[in-house]
Amino acid sequence: MSVPELAIVEISLHVNGTPIERAVAPRTLLVDFLREDLGLTGTKVSCELQVCGVCTVLVNDRPVSSCTFLAVDADGAHVRTVEGLAEGGAPNRLQEAFVDHHALQCGFCTPGFLMMSTALIESGLATDRHAIVEHLEGNICRCTGYQPIIDAVADVAGCPRRLAAGNGHGTSHP
Amino acid sequence: MLPPFRLCRPSNLAEALDVIGEEKVPYCGGTELLLAMRAGLHRPETLVDIKQIIELAGVRVEEGAVVIGGIERHMDLAVHPVVREHLPMLAKVEGGVGNARVRAQGSIGGNLCFAEPKSDIATALVAYGGEVTLAGPNGRRTVPVAEFVAGPYFADKEPDELLVDIRVPLPDSGTRAVYLKYQVTERPTVGVALLNGRSEGSCRLVVGAVGEVQTLWTYDDPSQIEPDAVAAELDPTPDLTGSERYKRHVAGVFIRRAIDALGAAA
Repeated sequence: MSVPELAIVEISLHVNGTPIERAVAPRTLLVDFLREDLGLTGTKVSCELQVCGVCTVLVNDRPVSSCTFLAVDADGAHVRTVEGLAEGGAPNRLQEAFVDHHALQCGFCTPGFLMMSTALIESGLATDRHAIVEHLEGNICRCTGYQPIIDAVADVAGCPRRLAAGNGHGTSHP
Repeated sequence: MLPPFRLCRPSNLAEALDVIGEEKVPYCGGTELLLAMRAGLHRPETLVDIKQIIELAGVRVEEGAVVIGGIERHMDLAVHPVVREHLPMLAKVEGGVGNARVRAQGSIGGNLCFAEPKSDIATALVAYGGEVTLAGPNGRRTVPVAEFVAGPYFADKEPDELLVDIRVPLPDSGTRAVYLKYQVTERPTVGVALLNGRSEGSCRLVVGAVGEVQTLWTYDDPSQIEPDAVAAELDPTPDLTGSERYKRHVAGVFIRRAIDALGAAA
């Protein structure tokens, strides 16, 4: 018996802990599903090429570009967005650290940086500033606030605040 | 917005092979395919999701080779104990592909099938002498990675074939390998893989990303490599990562650094 080819797919998933069931067209992108269907507009869209990172959400704790991720692939998964970070209605520690370190100006890239950083901190691999820089390499801030962002993440991860001068961001893999 | 398509989710390899074809394409991480579809370069009727197919997953040592399932994600391979033990250079390359989101989504098989000329993975696998296993309606065939990645965005794969796994011969003990790349934007200007085994002719230098495909040179010993001569033989494609002259220069520099790094590698 041949495998069916579906034009509409029933999906069930958890978004920020809330169970959700919907029927979607396969071409529905996760970011559009979150923003349009669920009204969770904290997740932004920009490059649509997996380059800028503003659309980052966590799917089963892994950071993905929701602009290039089909909603059907989140079937059965736990999805977390920036709206899910707050604890008891208040900003969580990482969000507080972004405020304390002035790690944002316009704020458009912030949801992506927060989710990307959350993935790193939870993985336990935010061992030093270099690891943070490497992990956040695929996120772009056009207000150029990289150093405060790294400071904020380093603060929460408990790693030393600064490297020697001039060795901050923009390093490529050796 | 993507063009409309249907979704098919086969649960095993036989079912998948039954479906795939010109208009019904294999779909795994989507890091390349969905971008091509959004750009209007590709408009398949059906995406055949191969992510649940167990025959395409896993990493193991079998018949003197490390066998890596085609749907294995970059992120998982970067930390996989078998890959780290036997192919440490590949593990490091996997940990540096694209960005952390691409590594979480993208698969090694998809990377090769897309034949992106700047693929770090193809360059590394050519140095290791890796092969791919393809399954199709007439059975299986094996193709060296160097031939599989036949041209820019062109892999030696028929539409009704599926990349099952990648097989990398277990390197001799004492083999050393390094990969160096120069990258300031999303994609590298140059990637240099250098591997040195113990037997004659087992020093393999591969330069990738500068031109249309990876280029391989073999030697008996790294001391025989003449970086400037190799750079002069390259056929660089001028693009946003550099002009022809610039790429040739950077390639020469990175070949020299790779030789130094190989000397320092344990």
